[in-house]
Amino acid sequence: MKQFLYGLVLYLFLLLPPVAALLESIMIIHMHMQMPLLILSGFLMARLIQLKFPDFFRKWNSNGVPGIMLFSIILVYWMIPRTMDEALTIEASELFKFISLPFLAGVPLRDSWKKISSAGKNSVFIIFIILFSLMGWLYIAADEQICNNYLRVDQITLGWGYVTMAVCMAIYVIQLIFGDHSEYK
Amino acid sequence: MKKHHNAIAIIVVLLFGTVLFYIGTDGFRAFTAESARTYKLLQDKPVFPSVTLEDSQNRSYTFKEFADGKYVFLTFMYTSCTTVCPQLEMNMAQVYALIPDSYIGKDIVFLSISFDPERDDPKTLAKYRTYFGSDGETWRMARITNKEELKELLDRLGVVVIPDGNGNFTHNSAFYLIGKQGHLLEMMDFTNIDEAASTVAAILNEEAGE
Repeated sequence: MKQFLYGLVLYLFLLLPPVAALLESIMIIHMHMQMPLLILSGFLMARLIQLKFPDFFRKWNSNGVPGIMLFSIILVYWMIPRTMDEALTIEASELFKFISLPFLAGVPLRDSWKKISSAGKNSVFIIFIILFSLMGWLYIAADEQICNNYLRVDQITLGWGYVTMAVCMAIYVIQLIFGDHSEYK
Repeated sequence: MKKHHNAIAIIVVLLFGTVLFYIGTDGFRAFTAESARTYKLLQDKPVFPSVTLEDSQNRSYTFKEFADGKYVFLTFMYTSCTTVCPQLEMNMAQVYALIPDSYIGKDIVFLSISFDPERDDPKTLAKYRTYFGSDGETWRMARITNKEELKELLDRLGVVVIPDGNGNFTHNSAFYLIGKQGHLLEMMDFTNIDEAASTVAAILNEEAGE
């Protein structure tokens, strides 16, 4: 219950128009802070939803694969340059962002992550390492403006942000594979 | 039974994803707001609004007077630009060279519009045009001094210009072709010179053949 409240407070805070406007004014914060925080808020709120509807999750997401796929689809959708632009210019798109990231990405992630196998987890990491590296390269190398609402320098910053995230995930996966985890179990 | 449910859930999720991406990208056509804008503009075919131009020779006239029932090949730029604009104008010069001489001035005219009227006075434009071989007649460079008119034009043709605070602008670039009735006919990739030239030439040839 406490977790749900934390998640809800975070969610409501992110919904405040001045907070949203501030976070969205900088490209990298829009992409790598507001969006992950929205997912986190859903992740925290998920506990109560899981407790309320245990049958639903047990029935439709028993091995975690549908949930993790939904999570990935929502994440990839918000990585399309156009969607980030439209979240700023089209209200319906902004609304969809605030619904999809917590409830269609955060909630299924919470429910699925424990259920999928470690091979599944590694595949998710590898897919996102590749995607983030590609997006990073795209944003850094592009001569033209990809998002009309942001300057090119913001675009390059975002590119490096993607690369940094990819590197962090890669380090995590490498230590998972080569590290000795027996002590932590 | 559980496996069964999982499979159904996966199919539902995949279907949802496909529909989401289909709608979000205009049927997998437009992955950036810019390409979406181009797609929408070409569907809408907006009319070139009424604006007054002031060219490099200090002459003032409306766009309509300048076009005078001809096709107009159009770009947007500002002379202090050090990145895209020189490339844009250089490529425009190549398109100009590729269009058969017989059409130039008679069926089609070229125009570079500056969206930085404060700095791009006629004197600056006169100097700038010589860098690209614009003759100042069949290819003119002009500014729009009326701010409202300029804004209306940029909005109408979907040109997004963001000042970066250091006297430069981040902006999208394309070749525009305005039809004889003043409607937007084509928006072309300015980096693809040959394709733009052949598109324009094909339109002119078709017209001449009639």
